[in-house]
Amino acid sequence: MEALTPVYLVAYAAAVALYLAYHAGLREAIGRAGRGALIVAFLVQGIDIGLRCAQLQHPATSTAEAMSFLAWLIAGAYLAASLRYRLHAAGAFAVPAALVLLVLARVVPARDAAPVVGTLGMVHIFLSMLGAALFALAAAVEVLYLVQERRLKRHQLNRAAGGGAPLDTLDRLAARCVSVGFPVFTLAIVTGAIWVARLGLLQRGALGRPEHLLAVASWIAFGALLLARVGAGWQGRRAAWLTVGGFTGVLLVLLGYFLRATA
Amino acid sequence: MELIVVGLSHRTAPVEVRELLAIAPGDIEAFLQRLLQAPAVAEVALVSTCNRVEVYAASPDARQGLVSIREVLRGHNAEVDSHLYDRSGREALHHLFRVTASLDSLVLGEPQILGQVKEAFEAALRARTAGRVLGFAFPRAFRTARKVRRDTGIALHPVSVSAVAVDVAREVWSGFEGRRVLLVGAGKMADLAARALRADGATVAVTNRTAARAEELAARLGCAVEPFDDLAGALGRADIVITSTGARQPLFGRPLMESVQRARRRRPLVFIDIAVPRDVDPAVDGIEGIYRWDIDDLQEQVAKNVEGRRHEADRGESLVESELARCLAAMRGRGVAPTITALRTRYHSVARAEAERTIAALSGLDERDKRAVQAMAEAIANKLLHPPQVALKKSEDPEALLEAAQALFDLPAVEAVDTDDADDADEDDEKKVSGR
Repeated sequence: MEALTPVYLVAYAAAVALYLAYHAGLREAIGRAGRGALIVAFLVQGIDIGLRCAQLQHPATSTAEAMSFLAWLIAGAYLAASLRYRLHAAGAFAVPAALVLLVLARVVPARDAAPVVGTLGMVHIFLSMLGAALFALAAAVEVLYLVQERRLKRHQLNRAAGGGAPLDTLDRLAARCVSVGFPVFTLAIVTGAIWVARLGLLQRGALGRPEHLLAVASWIAFGALLLARVGAGWQGRRAAWLTVGGFTGVLLVLLGYFLRATA
Repeated sequence: MELIVVGLSHRTAPVEVRELLAIAPGDIEAFLQRLLQAPAVAEVALVSTCNRVEVYAASPDARQGLVSIREVLRGHNAEVDSHLYDRSGREALHHLFRVTASLDSLVLGEPQILGQVKEAFEAALRARTAGRVLGFAFPRAFRTARKVRRDTGIALHPVSVSAVAVDVAREVWSGFEGRRVLLVGAGKMADLAARALRADGATVAVTNRTAARAEELAARLGCAVEPFDDLAGALGRADIVITSTGARQPLFGRPLMESVQRARRRRPLVFIDIAVPRDVDPAVDGIEGIYRWDIDDLQEQVAKNVEGRRHEADRGESLVESELARCLAAMRGRGVAPTITALRTRYHSVARAEAERTIAALSGLDERDKRAVQAMAEAIANKLLHPPQVALKKSEDPEALLEAAQALFDLPAVEAVDTDDADDADEDDEKKVSGR
């Protein structure tokens, strides 16, 4: 299984390079090549995750495994969305995020010995990663929205062959990701709280840990975004910035865990 | 038989000259028949658009054919003579390919020319003035044109102000179903853009300082009228505003638009301002959700798109070159096929006859021996056939070789016949020709 790691790392790196090249030159063939590389990376890493699971090294065994799993979910979510929408340009934001997570997970030696997580812990970690992946896709799409919106304001048109996805499509897609991701992330927080309580960590100030506070803050940000979209008709730039902010929070939470694990 | 072309276009003749050669649609058939009467003209088609008049013909004697066609055109109007150009053979075919692929158009990549050349070909088919040569060249020109359109970006980005305005709106919305367009004032470009948006599902309303003008425009476009004194209300209902009034001061200032955008909850509003002086204060750019494009922005984009088309046209040219090479190779194949068939028939009949004679002369041969003798004779024939067959197929100039083959092997001089190109089986245009 260790033999597969360099294969998908290289495939992810190739996908990142191709998507960035697409973003710079907007050649359709390069975008398609990027997607091809990403599909290879996704499949190979999928096999790798399966093999690791068979050896009881599933995504919930360490922060590194969880982050690598998150990278895989982000790639999968992006691939699924890009089958329906013209999203090569969003690949330049989503795939590098996945690669960074993966490199951190695979290259930096993590020292947290596999804790006994139990079913509840596994459910919590799985839901957290799924929610984070959906938020990541939403954030990547919203970054593309912000880039394209600013170009349009500056009187420049998208030069992609056949045009990129229009602003309303990007806005809708991001909103959909958040509206699915939010309940998943909510369940993740609830299960996480119960898990922490069961482990008897509450008394030891687990609630006050910065990553936990930040997780709740991100959750509140996404909840507020959903309310504002429905209630106050928020869309476009404001929604985009709030989504990017919320995802940054989630990312920091994860990095917090990771730093603690490697410290 | 060679393809030739004589004509004039926007490159060689100003409109005063081009109009001298304009031939009314009703007169085309008679004109084609007149051309067909001319010496050394075996087939003929006429491409006539506002930018070009060209006569494509097949001629057994290219030089004489060109002279004849020039004569007919001069007869139509003597002044055109110095503006005419002519091409023959490979150059004529190349020209036809370039024209059809819109590489020779005034507006590079414009889509009409393909339809116009198709019409010209169909008119020739109806008039029964097109035959084997034109029936071979034109469908290949259509296929090349489609390929250039599909494989290059020559027709991708629009080169008119109204079409670019529609592109701006397309960056914001995936479709215009249910979108509302408000026309403020009237103008040709606004008209064109509104029509294009409506064709994609948008609803259009007009407003004008003078109610009578608004009514008149609404009647012409078949759309609703919004009252001019409630501009803010009309803006609240619109998604795309196309404005082109003659107002001296901006109609849409920042304070007005700020309150409008608040009321619209900052939904996107595309503002196409084609008025000079401008109707929309550039300061509205700072308001969320407003995308303001003025005439300079649009024209700048048009210029960029024109430049882009020029760049793509280079790729189109090389596509045309490779299609031309393929077409010429297919033509050569068409020319040598009958001779190869005759040669094969001759060799194999000799082989069979000699084998039979040998079998008859030998006694005591069983079935296996007889088959062996026949197989040997066939094998000798095939071995001998191989080199001349390859030489004929690969020859750049098969005419001389064909004549030599016919003389050396005592073959009948045969006319070229249509062979089945497998790759053309799906071409409707060709079915039309062969089904004629």
